[in-house]
Amino acid sequence: MNPEPTNIWQRLEYSNLGTTVAESTWMFPTIETIHVFALVTVIGTIALVDLRLVGVKGHALRVSQLAKDTLPWTWGAFVLAAITGTLLFVSKATSYTINPWFLGKMVLLAMAGLNMVYFHLTTWRAVDHWELDPSFPPAAKLAGWLSLVFWLGVVFCGRAIGFTLGIYY
Amino acid sequence: MDELLFNLTEWLRSTPLTELALWISDTSLSGWIVTHFWAIPIIQVVHILAISASFAAVLMLNARIYGVAGHATLGETSRRYTKILWGSLVVLVISGFFMIMGEPVRELVNPYFWIKMVLVALGIVVTALFSRSVSRQAATSDTVGGGAKATAAFLIILWCVIMWCGRWIAYAPV
Repeated sequence: MNPEPTNIWQRLEYSNLGTTVAESTWMFPTIETIHVFALVTVIGTIALVDLRLVGVKGHALRVSQLAKDTLPWTWGAFVLAAITGTLLFVSKATSYTINPWFLGKMVLLAMAGLNMVYFHLTTWRAVDHWELDPSFPPAAKLAGWLSLVFWLGVVFCGRAIGFTLGIYY
Repeated sequence: MDELLFNLTEWLRSTPLTELALWISDTSLSGWIVTHFWAIPIIQVVHILAISASFAAVLMLNARIYGVAGHATLGETSRRYTKILWGSLVVLVISGFFMIMGEPVRELVNPYFWIKMVLVALGIVVTALFSRSVSRQAATSDTVGGGAKATAAFLIILWCVIMWCGRWIAYAPV
């Protein structure tokens, strides 16, 4: 039996859902594997658009068309990554919330999201006007670079969590 | 299933692979990786980024073949993503090599590792045949036949199983 929870993270970890995932021999690795399927799809499809924004060509597609082709995959996979990520989190909530790499990953995810929202509300609105230009506006290139850096950071922190979970307490 | 994997591990342990793994762990490259805490996580990040590139390439080419990402011609789409796919496969092999050098026993005496290697070999052969067939068909038409369509779906599943084996190397029954 678990001790009486004293905060929300313990409450989550000791919940039925949390203990079910934690105590099963196959659930955590299986959810983790689905998390990998989802995150490589998110990273790969986002990088295709980002690299295009920063000036890597190699495709006759306009960037708005490329984004239309990739975005449904990005969002579908992101939802799957969020669901599987939440399940992994709940099973060891107290270990994650004190892990600096986990906290860093959440901050970087938020920054990647803010960068995307800002870009979509500003420069991207006029994409029809600049996507046929030989060089994209600096704001578009910057958004592409920031997105690449934030997502690289997310992957690095995610991997670092796996090597440091349990050493902080 | 666990029983089978366990027996496979036992068998791998009885082969010269054990000796090879121990020999690798004595090399200076292996020693360098082991004594640098961040070496393995960084190599794994490179591996994951290359998986992202190759999987997204296969996914987007398949989406085009199945008609759900239809903005570029089939020929153009296949040329672009085939290039990304082969480029990232090279990065996968190189980063994978360093992972073996860093943790030779964990990798080489591991049933998931060898199942993965067999599937990777299969995946490379099928991908080579598949991309030849697609580029041949793309020269005269903007769609592909049923065989190529089925192969496209098969490859997605195969890469997922390969990723599965890769992740489960850490969870092999010993």
